[in-house]
Amino acid sequence: MKKLLTIVLALVCLTAMLSAAVAEGTMYIPVMAKGFQHQYWQAVYQGAQAAAKDYGVEIYFDGPASETNIDEQVTMLKNEMAKNPAAIALAALSTDSVMTELQECVEKGIPVIGFDSGVPNAPEGSIYATAATNNENAAALAAEKMYEHEGFAEMIAAATPESPVVIAVISQEAVSSSIVGRTTGFVNRMKALCEAVTTVSVTGHDIWKDEKDGAAVVIHVQISATTEATDVATASNAVLNMDNLKAVFLSNEGAVTGFLAATADGSELADGGRYDGLMVAGFDAGASQKNAVRNGWFIGSVTQDPYMIGYYSVELAVKAAKGEAVSDIDTGAQWYDASNIDDEMIAMLVYD
Amino acid sequence: MKKINLQKALAPAALIALYVFFAIFGKNFFDVYTLKTILETSYYVGFMAFGVTFVIISGGIDLSLGANMMCSALLGCYVYAKHGWPLWAGLLLCVAFGTFVGFLNGVMIAKFKLPPFIATLGTQMATLGLGAIITNVQTQRYPTVGTADGWFKDVFYRCNIGSIKGFPIGAVYLVIAFVLSLVLLNCTKFGHYVYAIGSNEEAARLSGVKTDRYKILIYTICGLFCALAGIFYAATYTTVIPGTGNGLEMNGITAVIIGGTSMAGGSGSMVGTLIGVLIMSVLKTGLPSIGLQSQWQTFITGMVVIGAVLFDMARVRAARKAK
Repeated sequence: MKKLLTIVLALVCLTAMLSAAVAEGTMYIPVMAKGFQHQYWQAVYQGAQAAAKDYGVEIYFDGPASETNIDEQVTMLKNEMAKNPAAIALAALSTDSVMTELQECVEKGIPVIGFDSGVPNAPEGSIYATAATNNENAAALAAEKMYEHEGFAEMIAAATPESPVVIAVISQEAVSSSIVGRTTGFVNRMKALCEAVTTVSVTGHDIWKDEKDGAAVVIHVQISATTEATDVATASNAVLNMDNLKAVFLSNEGAVTGFLAATADGSELADGGRYDGLMVAGFDAGASQKNAVRNGWFIGSVTQDPYMIGYYSVELAVKAAKGEAVSDIDTGAQWYDASNIDDEMIAMLVYD
Repeated sequence: MKKINLQKALAPAALIALYVFFAIFGKNFFDVYTLKTILETSYYVGFMAFGVTFVIISGGIDLSLGANMMCSALLGCYVYAKHGWPLWAGLLLCVAFGTFVGFLNGVMIAKFKLPPFIATLGTQMATLGLGAIITNVQTQRYPTVGTADGWFKDVFYRCNIGSIKGFPIGAVYLVIAFVLSLVLLNCTKFGHYVYAIGSNEEAARLSGVKTDRYKILIYTICGLFCALAGIFYAATYTTVIPGTGNGLEMNGITAVIIGGTSMAGGSGSMVGTLIGVLIMSVLKTGLPSIGLQSQWQTFITGMVVIGAVLFDMARVRAARKAK
């Protein structure tokens, strides 16, 4: 019996040393997401895998079953820290819950890279960089695509102060940084594009208000009373009743859902429909929005790029582990419309 | 006789076998840090499991463990963060509330003769809702290290003792709770009655045991353990979200079952429960160390439960034959 025990112990020690040796060979980087099963996280996963292949590192991707399972994520993080990783990529469910662990990472010298929503308010020095969507830039892309849309530029050029063209932005709230960023990004870029040809006035919510007399283009920002779909639908109806409304930008899936509720799932935007000719651009995805885009009722929508979020998070982790200087990366956004919605690269990004 | 003892050693043997397995095949599993993680994952599950062991041996069940734990933790943090109570007072309220819910379970089951499944299903949903109502569905955050009242973490989670940094102090409480439960179950009249009620409640009552009173006490103790689990959950994970917690009771109940306690009541042991808790934690930390994601952990834990019960049934049969 004693002999057996000795052999087992010797084996254990040997493998422990061996695995440590293997770990030194290839760089090991755990990627801790906020979820795993959701299509969004699967796209992050694929991006992370691609980067792992490009940089020749080993990654381990995992996330809790739901975004409320904080205990699961904390245990995951601890498990990974035990493996002495070269770096860790983390999208924390709650920064407070991982404070001790992040502090330990600082002490152990393990670089942590934030991704997706990152790790806000993390302890000093623990987060080396974050790979996330810059919402302002993403929404600006929608403004550019809208401006490029057939007939849009001509319409702006022909607009007169007597019957100004109205472009509306519908947002479900004006508090969260992502929604405010998107609204600002769209308004500013659209304003800049239109101001090149004519005078632009911004009306609606105080944050963005910039009224001018004699404007030929009016950008109107409509904020919903609450984030409830019914209230967003009410806000959408208010917008749809505006005279000379030509285009609408919806800043997230919530805004899209409310707007679709106000337009019979978007079918009223179809040829011969009540709002035929109205140019609508959305943000994010979801089955009903995808349906509206695929049918051409929306001119298109912007989606974050979870694939690149995954790719850059691993890239940053590798660089940080090598001691290179790293800084935050805008992981970019993609425009999708009826023509490319079923392309492999896009289909992966737009969830149902 | 010797054979039965050998079979009793099955659960500890399984624990050691699992540990050795992961130590060989896992990445850096054979490590003090991992050991710490295993212990820290055991805190809240352990407290829940110790409490519900009494209940299950007495032939009952408590489905409100997880929801009660979270509701108590939410309440404790709410009065601290929103109403300026001192943290210790919040923690006392947390303990008092959890114990009261347990008492309520006991009264409904013993006095109003509600089946334990129904009564505790009711309190599960009620506490789940109540936690969200009290906090207005706001996530509650316990103080973290280095902030005001950061002593909370030092006292219940990790502390620095001399040159040892990050000592898992929670494990000390877990051991104390285990020893107390062990003594309570094996060396007191109360413990004796727990087994008696579980074996044959009617016989226990006819032989003069005030079964109703003891059943209330059993559920109250379980409630107390839930509240303590809440404190250690908060110490380990900091953030408590309203509307969560149901489902977590299964961790506690599973640990008890793996430990060989019969769901039919009348037999079981506290040592078995402790081993059950540790087996669950070793799986939780070991499976990721060999690169298996969380969905595999759930699946394999399910297999372990079935295996454990099958083994246990074989053990009981063998014991009968030996007699």
